This record gives sequence, C-alpha cells and structure tokens, in this order.
Amino acid sequence: MPSEIITLQLGQCGNQIGFEFWKRLCLEHGISPSGVLEEFATDGMDRKDVFFYQADDDHYIPRAVLLDLEPRVINTIMTSAYSKLYNPENVYLSKHGGGAGNNWASGYSQGDKLQEEIFDIIDREADGSDSLEGFVLCHSIAGGTGSGMGSFLMERLADRYPKKLIQTYSVFPNQDEISDVVVQPYNSMLTLRRLTTAADSVVVLDNTALNRIACDRLHIQNPTFTQINTLVSTIMSVSTTTLRYPSYMNNNLIGLTAPLIPTPQLHFLMTGYTPLTSDANLSSQVNHNPLSSHQPVNVRKTTVLDVMRRLLQPKNMMVSTGPDKTNHHCYISILNIIQGEVDPTQVHKSLQRIRERKLAQFIPWGPTSIQVALSRSSPYVQSNHRVSGLMLANHTSICSLFERTLNQYDKLRKRGAFLDQFRREDIFKDDLTELDESREIVDGLVQEYEAATRMDYLQFSTTRRADRLDGVGDAKSEDTKSLNSGDL
Amino acid sequence: MTSKTDPVRIVLANLIAESQTPYTPDKILREFRATVDKRLSDRELLFLLESISSKRPNCREVLDEISDTLESKDPMYALLVFAERINDETMWQSKYSGGNNSNLNSNKNPEMSAPLHDSELGSKCVRKSLDLSTSTPVSRRLPEDTPALSTINATSAPTTYTRRALPNALNAKDHFAQRGDLSVIKKRVLNAVSNSSALTGTIDQLLNSSNSNKLKAQNLAGAGAGVGVAVGIGARGASGAASRTVNVESSPGAKSPKATHHSGITTVNSSGTVTGAGTGPGTAIAAVTGTGIITGTSTATNNGAANNSRALSTLPPTGYRSLLERTQPSTNSKSAGNNKDVSEPRDGLLDEYRTHLLWDYYRVDTPNGTSQPELTALPFDAQQRVLLTEILYCLSGVRGTYILIMPNDEQAKGLAKYETQFSLHVQVDKSLVEMVNEILPLASYFMGIQKVIALTDGHGQVNNALNAALHVISHDFYMLLQQAEMELLKNDLTVAKLLYYLQPTIWVIGEIWTTLAEVDMNNYHGAAVLTHLCDRIKQLEGDKCAQELIIGLARKAAEPYMRMLQLWIQKGIIVDSTHEFLVEDNEVIHKDELPEHYSDDYWEKRYTVCSECIPSFLEKHADRILRTGKYLNVIRQCGQRVMPTQQMNLEFDPTNERHVIVINDAYYFAARMLLDVLLTENDLMGHLQSVKRYLLLNQGDFTMQFMDACEDELAKNVDLVLPMTLENLLGLTLRLSSARSDPYKDDLHCELLTYDLVTQMSKIMNQQEEYWKTTDRLDLSGLECFAFTYEVKWPVSLVLNHIAITKYQMLFRQLFYCKHVERQLCKIWKENSIAKKFSPLAAELYRSAFTLRQRMMNAVQNLEYYMMIEIIEPNWHIFIEKMKKVENVDMVLSLHQDFLDLCLKNCMLTETSHLNRAIFKLCKICLKFCEFIQRSQRLFRDAELKSMVCDSSDENTDHSDYELDMADRLQAETTLDETDTFAERVKRFDLEFTGMLISFLKQINDLAKDNTADRFMNLVHRINFNGFYSEQMDKLCVKNAMG
Repeated sequence: MPSEIITLQLGQCGNQIGFEFWKRLCLEHGISPSGVLEEFATDGMDRKDVFFYQADDDHYIPRAVLLDLEPRVINTIMTSAYSKLYNPENVYLSKHGGGAGNNWASGYSQGDKLQEEIFDIIDREADGSDSLEGFVLCHSIAGGTGSGMGSFLMERLADRYPKKLIQTYSVFPNQDEISDVVVQPYNSMLTLRRLTTAADSVVVLDNTALNRIACDRLHIQNPTFTQINTLVSTIMSVSTTTLRYPSYMNNNLIGLTAPLIPTPQLHFLMTGYTPLTSDANLSSQVNHNPLSSHQPVNVRKTTVLDVMRRLLQPKNMMVSTGPDKTNHHCYISILNIIQGEVDPTQVHKSLQRIRERKLAQFIPWGPTSIQVALSRSSPYVQSNHRVSGLMLANHTSICSLFERTLNQYDKLRKRGAFLDQFRREDIFKDDLTELDESREIVDGLVQEYEAATRMDYLQFSTTRRADRLDGVGDAKSEDTKSLNSGDL
Repeated sequence: MTSKTDPVRIVLANLIAESQTPYTPDKILREFRATVDKRLSDRELLFLLESISSKRPNCREVLDEISDTLESKDPMYALLVFAERINDETMWQSKYSGGNNSNLNSNKNPEMSAPLHDSELGSKCVRKSLDLSTSTPVSRRLPEDTPALSTINATSAPTTYTRRALPNALNAKDHFAQRGDLSVIKKRVLNAVSNSSALTGTIDQLLNSSNSNKLKAQNLAGAGAGVGVAVGIGARGASGAASRTVNVESSPGAKSPKATHHSGITTVNSSGTVTGAGTGPGTAIAAVTGTGIITGTSTATNNGAANNSRALSTLPPTGYRSLLERTQPSTNSKSAGNNKDVSEPRDGLLDEYRTHLLWDYYRVDTPNGTSQPELTALPFDAQQRVLLTEILYCLSGVRGTYILIMPNDEQAKGLAKYETQFSLHVQVDKSLVEMVNEILPLASYFMGIQKVIALTDGHGQVNNALNAALHVISHDFYMLLQQAEMELLKNDLTVAKLLYYLQPTIWVIGEIWTTLAEVDMNNYHGAAVLTHLCDRIKQLEGDKCAQELIIGLARKAAEPYMRMLQLWIQKGIIVDSTHEFLVEDNEVIHKDELPEHYSDDYWEKRYTVCSECIPSFLEKHADRILRTGKYLNVIRQCGQRVMPTQQMNLEFDPTNERHVIVINDAYYFAARMLLDVLLTENDLMGHLQSVKRYLLLNQGDFTMQFMDACEDELAKNVDLVLPMTLENLLGLTLRLSSARSDPYKDDLHCELLTYDLVTQMSKIMNQQEEYWKTTDRLDLSGLECFAFTYEVKWPVSLVLNHIAITKYQMLFRQLFYCKHVERQLCKIWKENSIAKKFSPLAAELYRSAFTLRQRMMNAVQNLEYYMMIEIIEPNWHIFIEKMKKVENVDMVLSLHQDFLDLCLKNCMLTETSHLNRAIFKLCKICLKFCEFIQRSQRLFRDAELKSMVCDSSDENTDHSDYELDMADRLQAETTLDETDTFAERVKRFDLEFTGMLISFLKQINDLAKDNTADRFMNLVHRINFNGFYSEQMDKLCVKNAMG
C-alpha cells in the first residue's frame, strides 16, 4: 500500500474541515458512515488505501488523527453518524479540556507538553503504513490550537520525519469581518513562520474569499461554517483525486506538489474551483437556504477550455488577494485537475488558446506551463456538471495575503498590545524575539514572492530587516549583496 | 453409299445382287428384326438367308452355324453373324483385287478386311465373345475387361478427374495381357472404384474380365508379327497414359514414318490410341448413356482387340452413330437394323473409344482400297449424296475421299494452330463447292475443340469440368450429325439443307472454338479459364446463342471452383490439390509446435491470396473470401465449433451476382463470430486496457510502487540484475497495489533486453551506426534495459502479437525512463526543500540549482504530459471509439496498429531525426544532475544545522559572516573537480542542459515547418509555454543562420 497519507486535524477549524473532508471521501469511495464498503462499490478501481486502511473486519478506517484541546467539535463528530468511522485511539482530546484560548503561545506550549501522547498516536499510525508519503495538516492559522499546536507539530514532524512530506490546508482568517480574536495577527504571524520553514506545501484557504464566494457566487447570505467547510472539503477531495484515482501522472503527493514549487520558499498554493454553483458540490445543506431553492438547476455544457479559462479568473480563486494595482503578479506554476467527461483531444487546444490569448501571466525567469491532469471522478457522486476543474496554482499575488497579515501585525506590534498572554508561556518568557523573527521570515517571504515577479529573481536576495523597527543590519545586507553578485 | 454406312446392309445387298433374289436388304432386315409374334419361323428365316447366299461357296457351313445360333439367340444376332461369316470368305477374295485397284484412296478402304493370319482366331474370338454379348441381360456382365473398365470410368471420372491416368494405364496394360497381373489390375481398379461414388461395375465383373483378358492375350499372341508392334505401341500408350497425354502422343506416333503401313499394325496401333485416350473424354458420354453403352462397347471391344485393321478403315462414323443411337432407347432397334453391313460389328467396337476421341482425320494407310466412283460420272443427286456422306464424316473427324485434309502446318501460330484446312476434290460440282466450303469450317471448329479438350484434359479441376461440359456439347453435336444422316438415309438431305441446318451451329461452335483455342493457346488453368470465359461472355454481348452457351460452359466450369470456395467460406477448409483456389495455405507446421511468435506471422502469412488464382468475377471479393476462411480457422483454433447457420448454396452464374451475396453472408457471419470470440469471450479490450495500464503507465500508482520496489535492483548494472528478483518484486507489487483487482495482472512479466531504447530504435531502422554501437552492453543499467512484457494466449495474441508488444515496449521504455528521471528530480526536490529553513542568504546560493532542477522537471514532465495526455490518451480515445464500430478482426488489427504507430511516431520513436536520442540525452543529463545534487546533500545538511544554530543564537552580526563562510566552503567542497565551485558546476550543468534542450526544441521546430501534420510542435509549446526559451531559440536560429 503505497504513498499513504496521514491526516492530522487540529483545533476547531481543522476538525470541522477534516470532518467534511472525510464525509466527502466516504461518499466518493462508497464507504458507509460506519466504515463499511457499500454493496455497489466493491469493484472500484480507486485507491482507498491512500487515505484509509482496512481493519480486520473489513472496515475502512481513515488515516486520520483528530487533535483538539477542547472537546466541543470532536464531541460533535463523535456523536454524528460518522462516529464509528474513526479509530477511537486516534482521537486525542486534551485532558483538561480548556482549549488554547485562541492563543498561539498556549497551543504551542500545550503541544510541547502533550507531544509524547500525540506522537504515540502519530508514530503508531506511521508504523502502520507501508510507505508513508507524508502528512496533511488541517488547521486554521488564526486560532489557538490549530495555529499554536499545529506550529509545534509541524516543527516536530519535520524533524522526526525529514523525508516525509508535510502539506497543510491552512485556513486564513476572514479579513472582511472584525474578528473576535484580538491576537489574530500575532497568531497568524507565528504560524506563518512555521508554515514557511516547516511545511513543504501550504494550500491556502482564505476565509475572506470563501465567504465572498458563498455570498456572491452561491448567493448564500451569512454562510455558515458548515457551508464554507463543504466548499473546503470539495477542494481538498478534488486536490487529492489524482492520488485516489490514479492515472498517468501526479499519482503521489510529491509528484503533485514538486512541479508546483520551484524553490523551497515559494510553496504557498492557492486554489480555484469551477463551476461554483449551489449543487451537489455543496451538499444538501445549501438547499435549506430559501434563496438557493430559487436557483434553477444548473446543467451547463462545459468544455475544457471553459473550465480552464474560468479557473484563471480571480473570482473563482479561493484566495482573496486584493486588487493587483501594478499588475505585475504572475503565475509561478499551475496545475489543473479536470474531472468529468473530457475529450482528451481538447486539452491541447485549450492550452493553445490560453497561450495565444495570453490569458495567464507567467514568471519571466523560468519555464512554466499549465499542467493538466485529467482525473477520473467517483462514479458514486452525481454531479450536474459535465466537467469540473480545480486549479492548484503558485501565484505571486499570494504575498498580498502575507502583507496584510504583516500590516495588521505591525499595527498591533507597534502598540505592543495584547502581548501579556503570550509572555505567560515559556516560549515568550524571556523576550519577544520569536515574534520579530517570525515577522522577519514572513517579510522575507513577501519579498521573495515580489522578487519572483521579476526577471532577476535568481540574483535576488532579501533585504533583511529593511522594514525592521530597529533598522539594524542594513550595512550587512549591502555587503551580502555585493558579495553575492561577485559570486555569480 | 448406304452400304458404307451399314455393313450388314452392304453384305446383304451384295448377296442379293449375286443371287438375283427379289429381296432388298431392308426387307431382310425387317424380317429379322420383327418381334416374336410377327416374325417368321427360324426355318423360314434360314431359308431366306440360304436363298440369297446360295452362290457363296461357304454357304452351307455358314447356314449350319446360323441355324444353331437361331435356336438359341435373337434372329437379329444371327443375321449379324451370318453377314460376317458369309463376308469373311468373299471379302478375302475380292479384297485383294480391290486393294490393288484402289488408286484414289489408299488411305481409306471401306471393305478393308483383317489380315489373313488374324481371321481364324479373330472369328473364334468373336464368336465366343458374341455368345456372351448378346442383348440378353447377361450381356451387361461382360467378361471383357476394357468395357468394364470404361464402366468404372463412366462412374468415377466425373467425380475425380485427376484419377484419369489410372484407367489409361490400365487400358494400356491390357495390351500386355501376358503380363496382366491380376492382383495389380484388381488393386488399381479397386483404387478407381474407391474413388467413384456410385459404382455399378463390381469386382466380379473385373475378375471375369481378367479371364477374358487372358483369352485376348492369346489372340494377340496369335497375331504374330503384329503383336510386337502392338506391344510397342501399347507401351507407348502406357507411358503416354502416365503423362496424361495418351491421345495426343500415340496418334502422331502411329503416323510416324517408322510405322509400317501394315494393316494389322495400324489396327493395334490405333486401338492402343483409342483405349488410351478414349477412356477419359469418353466418360462424359458414357455416364449419360449408361448401360446401353456398355453393351455396345463390349461387343466392339472384343472384336476390335481381336480383329484387324478393318476397324479403322470404314467404321468410325458408324461407330459414332451406333453409339449415339444406342443412347436413345427409341432408336436402338433402328440402328441395329442399320448395322447390317458386313464389317459393322467388329468395327463398332473400336469406335466405342473413338467416339469420345479425337479422330482428327487420322490417316489410315491401307495397301488396298476399293475404287471410288468418279464423281463426275455420277448424276448430281448421287454426287450430292456422296458428298453429304463425306461431309458428315468430315464433321466427325474422319478422313474422306473428296474432302481432302490439308496437312497441318506445324509452324502455325495462334488460332491457326487449331484449324484444319480442307480442300474439295476437283470433281465436285461447282454448285456444291461453295456450300460445302461454308460447312467445312464447322468441321475445323469441332476438331479444334476436340483437340483442345484432349490437350487441356487433366490440367486441373476447372479444365476438366469445362471439358466435361464440352463433351455434352459434343454429344449434342453428334446427335445433330446423326439426325442429318437419318435424313440422308431417307434421301431427304441436300447440301443446302444441311447448310441450313448447320448454320446456327457453325456460329456457335465457332465461338466455342475461339474461346477454347485461346484457353489452350495462353495455357490457361483454373481461375484463368474462368476469367477467360467471363471475358468471352462479355465480348459476345450481341450474340445471344453463343453467349448463352458460353455462360453454360462457364457455369459448369466454375462448379469445382465454387465447390472449393464454398468449402472455404463455410468451413475454412482448402481442398485444392491442383492449386487452383485463390487462397493458399502456407502452414508448414502445426501451431502447437511453434511456440514463439507464432501469432505474428499467422495473420499475415498463414493464408494468402494467390492473385493468379482469382477469377475475374471474384476479384473484388478476394479479400473478403480470404478473411472469411481465415476467421473460421481462427475460430476453430480457439476451440470453437464453426457452425454455419444457413445452408449455403454457392453457384456461379455469370448473369447475376448471387454468389456475391452468399460470399458476403458467409463473410459477415465469420467476421461477427470471430469478433465475438475475440472481444466477448476472450475480452480483448480488457487485455488491451491492461496493457495500456502497465506498459503505457496508465496505472500510475502501480508504476510508482513498482519503481519504489525495484529502484535499487534496476540501478545496478544490467548483468547484475537478477531477473527473478524483478519478477518477484513485480508479483508483490501487483498483489499489493491497486492492480490486484485486474484479472490479467498475471500476464505481466519483466524482461531485460540486451540493448537500450536507442539501440533498439536503430536496430529497427537498420541503421547500425558506429556511435551507438560503441555503447557496450556492460555500461547499461538495469533501468535502461528493463521493460515489461505482456504474454497472452491465442487468440488475443493475434492482436497483441510480438510486434505489437515490441511497440508497446518501446513506448514503455521511453515513458519509464522519463518517469524515472521525474522521480529522481522529485527526490532531490524533497531533499532540497530543507533549504526553506535556511536563511534567505543561504537559500539564494542554491537558487540557481533549484531553478535548473525546476527547468529539468518542467521539461521532463511536459514531455511526459505530452506523450501521455496529448498522444497516447487521445489516440486511445479515438481507438476505443473506432473499436465500438469495428466489424471484423482485420479492422481491429489495423486500428490497433494505427494506434501504436501513431503513438510511436508522435512520441518521437520512429522518425529518423534522432529526436529520441535527444530525449535520451536530456534524461541522462538530468540524472547526472540529480546525482550531483545528492552528493552535495551532506553539505546542505551542514548548512542547515549551522543556519539553525545561527537563528537560535540570534547573533545577527556574525550571521552573515558565517553564511558567507558556508558558501565559500560549499563552493570549495561540493565539487568533484577541485577547481570547480558548486556554483560553477551548476552553471556547467545549466549550460549543457539548456543547450541540449534548445537544440532539441529547435529541431522539433524545424521538423514542424516541414511537416505540419505532426504533433511535435505541441511539445515545444508546452515546454516553452511562457516563452521562456523563445529568446534562446531565436539566438540559436540566428547563430545557425550566421553559420
């Protein structure tokens, strides 16, 4: 059983999207909520063993580890129809159950304390797989458990399993609404640092964009978390579809992500999905919404070109990058996963069209193209659409997200607000350099993404601490520059 | 000249003239022929004979004998005996003088008698055989062997023409009666018997006949000097029979100057000819006439064998007629009445063979002949009668007195070879000459036809069938002659009338003659004959009669061919010993004995169409015919029963196309059935899916897993790779991966070839180049030599044959190699991703390496995408779509081949521009780069550790210094070559790779300019999707342009 992937669900958000993800996978593979393979699904040519393993009694059990510091979400899961699905040993709830209080530092510290118990589970799970390929982490970067404990886990995993891939599905907070978590910028900044240094690839799920899509495109007022999470689960399931329904290419996680990420730092991927309509993709809950019932059932004749063109439109992107005033951002790489009845001969034509019309802007410093993976889709899930597509893209404009975080962070940091609760934890006991370093790294990331839009990316080096509050080390960076240019 | 036509009558007339009695020959005949109730008493009949023969010296003895005969036998028979006996003596006297006097016709003597020495024995023999051959039922069981044999021929010949040589040989054997080994004859005859479906002649008969054979032998022995020659001729006949050209060969032999013109010799000689040749063609008529013939034959043979040259001299025409008359029961008695002339009975026997034979105006030289009346001296009517008789002779191929046969021109070419020229006696009345000249071509035509029949006989089934049909026509022709003669006898016939009667026949026979002459001239066999007949049918479009006749001939001639065809398209069997059928079976050894690559050649080579054997009317359908039987054979080899659904009735009719419908029906039936066997029962598509899954890497996860498992093993030198290990790992992978649910997974095996893909390519293209030859096998890694192979059983192996698998393997090797490179690049990607922990400065150092790696990845992946998604998958898609509409297995094969060839071509595995070498080199460089990066990995790790230390220590001031230090160290240490830094090495790789890639793209670009049909350009568009390489390519172009 090759290329197994262990899913780690952390915190409220992580467990919620994870729950939806597993629901979806069960549906696609014909596995009942109790983990038994449905009658109709016995002859499938799909690969269930990437995400599931088979217990002795023919039950399919997800390779999932559910972690949380407070019991609410996990209890919901364990009382749902899917409670029998999970291996109860893989569900870990912190004993004291107080949660992390939306505090990154608290989550990080608790992760440190609980690491033995947590890694018992993870190690056992890893030992149970023949050739573990990597971990997928579901979490949000703004809360306490997902961000704090998630950060800790990522660092430990990278140490412990240096050859395994770490991919995260990271939910970025909604920028449009005022969060009730005041330290959100701190949390985000600290998590981003770990995402930059410890994760191999990060699929950015921007709540801002998800909400906007739900409102504008799906016509749902005040979308609930469940509705948003269904959207997320679709993206997660489709992005793993080439692993589960293997074909010529992209049959393992590394083959899927490596072409997208040219240099190790630039590993933040955004996703786009089309068609975004209120149909089966959004499950039955959407239909409870009175507005959606007025929607005609949307059966569109969609071609590959349509799908690929729409995927290039920003409105279908699951990341809200804000207007690109200078219009200099560009694609570093694109992978389109297309499902449905596709005539394979269309692919080339569509690519040609996009190329001729320059529908997408690409980096100038290296070759890149739109890779198209035609994937089979589950025969058990009916879709109203002939063709649907998911785009995994590495786009430089993602840095605007980080910039936004940087700005918010800077605002708070300048005032030194809300730092008390951080100082309470071990990691910030002495000083707040951790925060500053994180900022520095994230800033470097932003710069690198900016540089990636330019021709001279290869010669680029970060102007370290250029924006730093203390302004130290300018001279040094100058030296570095000159030296480097001398080298090359 | 009635006497000539009826020997008994002649004898009687002579006697009447001598005795001056008031009878007429007819009257006497009538008396003797009358039925029992109306007939006179025996005594009265005897008296009648006595009264006319009283002048003869031997009268008493003869009458004594006749009275005995009358008591036990039919009076008619008695009359015949009488005529003979009484004539024997008289002839003997008158002959000598007559022979001296005959100046006009030395070749033909109507009253020619047997040589002296023969007569005694001959008459005894005649008596003896006559005893048996009376018209009682017993007569059918004649002891004479030759008729018995001809009976067998009559029954067996139509079914097996090819056996004809055997009876001939038997006949010839008769002449060596002394040596007549009973057991041999019996065996041969049994042989012939076993070949005949409806056998009337029994073995008893044969045994009887062998008895008489001895008798006859004695007779012949008594013949003295004549015997030696007879034996010689017989031997000639025997050898001729063996070569199936008895009739042709022996006649000239008889004519040869060496042959003494002694009558006895000639007789035996000609009888040898007759027996040799007569059996074959004679069969057709014999079959028609049935038992009546046998009777006649037996009499004739007896006499002929024992008797002498008289046979030849006068009797051929009568012989013809007597036979023909006997074919019709109604005329039977009448003909007997006609046969009253003296020499009739013994001569009729020879003619028995002659009838079916080529007389061809055979010159019979006799020392003595009767004088012919001067034509001019005769009144016109009499002259006309003489002439008419001559014409009738002439038409049946007998030399006449007034119609002279011009000697054959040996040099004659073309149609003239089959022509006979005649010239009329100068004395013939001018008014008749023109008309006679109009009739005579008919004789020429008819003889020509007979000649061709004799020449082409035994030249295959079609020719034989055609000849059989021609015999029926000949028979009709004889009937016509007979009718004419009837008229003549009634004094109703004039030359004008005869011309009038014969006019339509002249036309038709002329056309047949032309047709046949061309057959022989061009040496047509089998299908060519049919084609020729069809052409003639078309040519004769305006001439309905002739056309219909030829159509009939064509239909008959096509019968054996159509039988073969039917057997083939109904059961897939070829029964074609004469190699006339259009399909050839090239099987040498049975399938089971050919384990390797049997299926490759099977389809193409097992059955082939022989283009010379296609008759024109099947030309368009030859392909279908071939396929039909081929499919049936494949079905049978699959262990299925070939069950023809409908009764097939295949006949060739030149006037319609019904046979086409039958052929098409059979074809669709067979095609459908084999398709079912292949697609449904043997699940061809399932197999193809499996092949695609494994050999075209469609089952990506399996490929990945297999590579995981075998990577170490395949990295070794090919000589160190253990095939068993690979096979085990493959088995394990198949059982653990998603392939486990594939029912055909066990057909997949590993194969280590002894050459790499490039060598394989050049091998295929037969371009062994020095450069690639030097690639020693030892240098190859297991990976370069590795390929999957897929083993399937019959009949799937028809499609997935060795050639197809080789093509799949070529695709596989290229894909597999690219996949391997991609994996290596992914591997270093993962290892390199550690650099994200580096400080930005350190990361920058590696950026050039990373981007180079990414470029390689981009190129390799796009190549893979191109091959898989743009070539294989769409072509497969098209293939599957077309397969849904497929209607026969040939289409399946060609579609599959098209699919593979398209894939190969577009994956750059066929063309001669060495694009695949470029791909191979690109892959090589990528692998080298991966190796290099992996070697540098240790230092990466150092760098990582240090950077972590730096980070945690947060000594910003030292930080940069340290990083720079690191960079220096790296540059110094990561290199193989001491002088090269890491950056320089990367740069070198970069230059090499980029240069190669650019020239590769450029090459494709150039190719695309020449040939827009190819898809190669798509690859360029893919790799250069964002125009990254455009500038460099342009530069290269400029550089090339500059020289």
